[in-house]
This record gives sequence, structure tokens and C-alpha cells, in this order.
Amino acid sequence: MKAARAFIVAVSGALVALTAAAQPKELVVGSSATYRPFAYESPTKEIVGYDIDMIKAVAQKSGLQIRIVNTPWTGIFAALNNGDVDLVISGVTINDKRKQSYDFTAPYFEARQLIAVHKDSPVRALKDLAGKKVGVVTGSTGDDVASREFGKNSPNIRRFESTPVVIAELANAGLDAAIGDNGVIAFRAQEHKTLKTVSDAGFSKEYFGIVVKQGNKALLDKLNAGLAAVKADGSYGQIYRKWFQADAPALPAQ
Amino acid sequence: MEQALWFGWFRADIIAEYAPLFWQGLRMTILVTLICIVQGTTLGLAIGMARLAEARHAPARQLCRYALRWPATVYVSFFRGTPLFVQILLIHFAVLPVFVNPADGLLISGETARHLKQNYGAFLSGVVALTLNAGAYISEVFRAGIQSIDRGQVEASRSLGMSFGHTMVQVVLPQAFRRMLPPLGNNAISLLKDSSLISAIGLAELAYAARTVAGAYSRYWEPYLTISLMYWVLTLALAWAVRKMEARYGRGDSR
Repeated sequence: MKAARAFIVAVSGALVALTAAAQPKELVVGSSATYRPFAYESPTKEIVGYDIDMIKAVAQKSGLQIRIVNTPWTGIFAALNNGDVDLVISGVTINDKRKQSYDFTAPYFEARQLIAVHKDSPVRALKDLAGKKVGVVTGSTGDDVASREFGKNSPNIRRFESTPVVIAELANAGLDAAIGDNGVIAFRAQEHKTLKTVSDAGFSKEYFGIVVKQGNKALLDKLNAGLAAVKADGSYGQIYRKWFQADAPALPAQ
Repeated sequence: MEQALWFGWFRADIIAEYAPLFWQGLRMTILVTLICIVQGTTLGLAIGMARLAEARHAPARQLCRYALRWPATVYVSFFRGTPLFVQILLIHFAVLPVFVNPADGLLISGETARHLKQNYGAFLSGVVALTLNAGAYISEVFRAGIQSIDRGQVEASRSLGMSFGHTMVQVVLPQAFRRMLPPLGNNAISLLKDSSLISAIGLAELAYAARTVAGAYSRYWEPYLTISLMYWVLTLALAWAVRKMEARYGRGDSR
């Protein structure tokens, strides 16, 4: 029995070594492709978007082989924890709570929360949404903002899997408002004639970062080096212009 | 809130923090399940009878075939042949907005529609989808149950001068019901578990509570283990109730 087990271990060890030697390790990148224009599936089933262009540029600069896998947002941190993916780029806002459990690269995008409402809505700011039905994506920054403002157990907060679903529910009059990241909310709201967006000056500046498992310093350093190079040589500005038709804001190095 | 660790790994404090969401979720799950069991069984009975409708002479004969048997068969085939999850999304995002819509709802529009959608939209769609789905499965239970009763019994009652309706209510269904109880119990348990799918359209039931906590803390053991236990207790209670009913209605057989 013991000998057999030792044999199996030896063979599988050799196999792993062989495959590892044959090709440089391909890193799996998790991204939730319901987040246009950051990451979404093109008609040809390819995942495209700002996030995807950024991670490809970063990988190229730091000599990493990557493969992008569409990972549902709800399970994306679990996938990182259990090793299904090596890193996550999916419009993840850097915040203190997440920093306790994961490591982030330097920012690659400046974000703000944005409110979407019906065209005839009198809502001017976040506080006007008190007592109204507000849709957010589960566990997103918008969820945090709404939970802080209206109480995390409030029945007026309606949580959904993805931004398109939140906006569909809003457009169908199931909600009074939706809160989410500016890039996505603005893009989705302009698809519907009956919606408009409202920005609240109280929302603070936030940044998106690439996420790795806590303590994976080797990968983090490589990604940061690649990201710095992407910012320095102007590809960051190019990619930003391609997706948002505007000049890229300067990002803090940390 | 203070971190509360049970057995060294279970963060009980995050469940306590969201306790109201779990209790409301539990109540919602029970409510949806009960409503759908009652409605689904009623619908299932009606559809099951429709699938068996037969008449000897025109025009009732044609009427039974084209107005009852065919639509019922198509209905059962559609709702058993497509995923419940897809049916929920279809009904909530496509079918319901046609009928209930502030702008141009066929059934309800204006301020009433807005109020209805905002407060009960997900509940309504979820209950409709789950009822329609359960009705399809339960109709098959009824059909099989009714067909399992020997034809001779129907013939005997009819020759005694009892009407078709009388024969069904007084002779066939009481016997068939006994045989249908175990599969009906199975359906009720499936219904309870399937109600978790309604969380996708934002109904605050048990699965929604767990998803909220998982989203907020990126911790998965605590919320999903908690609702697993709650579902388990609920299915045990349902199974117990079905066993009680079987004992009660099975008495006739073992005299």
C-alpha cells in the first residue's frame, strides 16, 4: 500500500515538474464579465474591456503569461482564496476592509459612486434616497455606501448579482434608484431613455486595484512594476481614451 | 461589533450583525413555500384533470382535445422542459413588465403599478414562476395517481348513475390522494429548496441574506452553513408533516 502510494506521489510529482518545465506557468486572471465597459463578453465570446486591456498591458510589461476566466462577482474572492484564480481584475475598489483580507496593487482606475434614477425623479443627492428602494450589486462599494447610509439590514436596499440586472430592475420601475461605480452606471444608464444619472459631491474618490491573495508578494511586485511601466509609457492614457473617450486622470503611485 | 469566534473559525458575530435579514429571510422563504404549495397543488389538480379530459360525442369530444388536453400538455412540457431559474428571470424581467408597468401595463399601470412593482415585484414574479413550475410537476403526480386507480371503479360508479364529477370526488380522488402523498411531499420539499432561486431577482429570502453577508465580508462558511441548517430544519419539518398525513390517510388501506 505504502509503496504504491509513494509511487503515485513520485509519478504525479514528476508530471507536475515536466509540465512546469515545458511552459512558463500561466496565471489565471478572474474577471466578472458583466461590467461593461470594464469587462464584458463580446459577441464572439471574448472577454474585453478596460480592465482586460490594462491587465494584458501589465502582463506584457512584466513578462507574465495570463489567461482570463469569466468569474461571477459573488464568488470572485472565494475563487482567489481557494486558488481557482491567481489574481483578480474586475473593477475592485481598494478599501480598508478588503485590504485586511487581500493585497492590492497600486490604483489603475479612479472611480466614484454614481446614482441612476428615473428622468422625472427629484433626487439630487444620496440623502434624498432615504425611504426609497435602492438597487446595488451585492458586496459592491455601492452596497457599502447604501448600507452605511440606510442600515445594512434595511429592506429598502435591494441587492442583485450584477449591474445590468440592477439597471433592468430600475428601468422596469422596480426601484427608485441604483448606486454603483460611475463608469458602469453611466454606460448602462445611457442605454435607457428613461434614466438619468445624479452625482453626489459627498462620494469620495476611490480607486480600482488588481487583487492578489494576501502575502503573494512576488506576484504583487511584478504586477506593480508592470503597472508603473504601463503608466509611464503612455499606454494607460491610450487605453483610458479608448474606453472612456476622455483624458486619463493621474493616479497615485500607492 | 466584537469578533465572536466559535470553535476557532466560525465568525458568529457577522451572522448576529445580519440577524434581522436572516429572520426576515426565513419568514419570506416559509411564506413563499406555503403559498406555492397551496397554489401549485390547486393548479396541478386542474391541469392534471385537463390532461385526462375525454368525452364521447362531438362537440365535447373536440373541445376536450383542443381546449383542454393540448394546452395542458404544452404547458406541462414547457415548464418541465425549461430551467426554473430561466423561468424566474423570464417572468420577472420580460413577462411581468408587460402586464404591470407604470408606463403602459396591460393589466395595471400608473402609480399603482409603480407601488406594486417596488414593494412586491420580486415576490409576485417569484410566486408566479414557482407556482407555474410546481403546477406542471404536480399535475403529473395527479395524472399518474388518477390513472393508477383501476378503470373498473370508474365504470362501476358511472353505471350506478354517478356523474363524472361525483365519481372523481367520491371514488377516485380519495384513493388516488393516498398514493399521491409521497410524491406530493417530495414536490413540496423541492419547492422549498427551489425558492432560493428567487434571490436572483432580489427577493429578500434566506439565500439572499446569505449572499448579502458573503458579499459584505467575503466569508462563505458562516452565511451558507447557517442557511443550509435552516433549510435542513425546514425540510425535516415538511417531511415530518407529510409522514403524519400519510399515517392519517393511509389508515383506510391497512384496516
